[in-house]
Amino acid sequence: MISKFTYGEAELVTQLQHRNNQAFTYLYDNYSKALYGVISQIVPDRESADDILQEVFINIWRKIETYDISKGRLFTWMLNIARNAAIDKIRSKSYRNELKNQALPDDVSMLGDQFVKSKADETGLKKVLGKLKKEQRELIELSYFQGFTQEEISKGLNIPLGTVKTRMRSALLQLRSMIEQ
Amino acid sequence: MNIKEYISSGIVQSYVMGLASKEEQAEFEQLCLEYPELVAARNIFELSLEKRAFEDTPHPPAFLKEQFINYINQNTTTNQSKVIQMEPAIPLAQSGSGLRWLAVASVIFLLVSSWLAYRFYNETITLKAELQHTKEAQANLGTRLKILEDYEKMVINPNVAVVNLTPMPEKSPASANIYWDSTTSNVYLIIKNMPKLPSDKQYQLWALIDGKPKDLGLFDIKDDHKVMLKMTDTRKAEAFAITVEKRGNTSGPDMDQLQMMGKTQL
Repeated sequence: MISKFTYGEAELVTQLQHRNNQAFTYLYDNYSKALYGVISQIVPDRESADDILQEVFINIWRKIETYDISKGRLFTWMLNIARNAAIDKIRSKSYRNELKNQALPDDVSMLGDQFVKSKADETGLKKVLGKLKKEQRELIELSYFQGFTQEEISKGLNIPLGTVKTRMRSALLQLRSMIEQ
Repeated sequence: MNIKEYISSGIVQSYVMGLASKEEQAEFEQLCLEYPELVAARNIFELSLEKRAFEDTPHPPAFLKEQFINYINQNTTTNQSKVIQMEPAIPLAQSGSGLRWLAVASVIFLLVSSWLAYRFYNETITLKAELQHTKEAQANLGTRLKILEDYEKMVINPNVAVVNLTPMPEKSPASANIYWDSTTSNVYLIIKNMPKLPSDKQYQLWALIDGKPKDLGLFDIKDDHKVMLKMTDTRKAEAFAITVEKRGNTSGPDMDQLQMMGKTQL
């Protein structure tokens, strides 16, 4: 922890919801790295990741009142804001146009071959994913890191929806057993 | 509901990772209120995921922190609604449409200028009226000051004699003084208290010179009494008298209407 003092999570949330700027500085110091890691796993382009991180913290600052501590941890809430922002970015037309040659096709079936190994793949959750079976990894990759729904995956990979659901379930449980060690 | 089966169905992971559908989310949140073991399972997975997220992550560039701190410092001084209003402005700026900004700035400038022009116009009118009023007031004061200066000169002038005019018997009580400069023959009549007359009548001041009445002028008593009249050519006056005459009298004094009289020291 970078800051001289630490907040209990409930106290931190209270301070954040009162828009205490010191609490936001603390939040940034302690969580920006983890959120940046998640964003980078979804958006490999460094400059875009920078923009998204900035956007995510501004959104956290704006929407902090809507965070409900009874529904989960603060980090989980922030993580999902970051993940959704990053997915919105890679699915936006402007981002696809920027990438041009590497444009992400709408057709999910092309995606399976397109996972490019990058530094981000050796960090955090992606490192864990590497240990999963290919068919499980693919589902987590498409849903969690690319934002496709199970219906879209079913159509794109030409697998029945029921099979997607079953595989997804086993992938998630596998993931759980690996990260809860 | 078999909660153990539910917990091991993968729903905890899909909820925490944001992969659950709206319906699944609602059901999960509802069940969390009933089953503490579900909350516990959620917590364990959340903490594990959180721990992983902090592993081997790249550092974001330092300028991002500076930008964010600047942003919140700027926006905490303004109110919440202003922050929300800024949102549509962001795509506008990103579209690089400088002309739009210029147009917005021009409109704002025009509105501000018009408002200022309107204010200055109103202020000018007000100031002109005030100036006119001040000029008139100054002119009045100048006139009154001149009278007072004359009065002062007259009072301190050793050649000026004060003649008390005393009311005639059986006439209304009145009080007036004549300041009489025997060297220049100027006369100042100071009326302290004299009754008002019907509108067809006027008072008339007379000087008695060589036993003959000389007309020194007709005058009215106004609300603002203490009248001071300057009259001339009264050398050798033996006495002064005031009569009531018809308005605009041109003939001699009506001695029946003699109101007041005072003799000089000559």
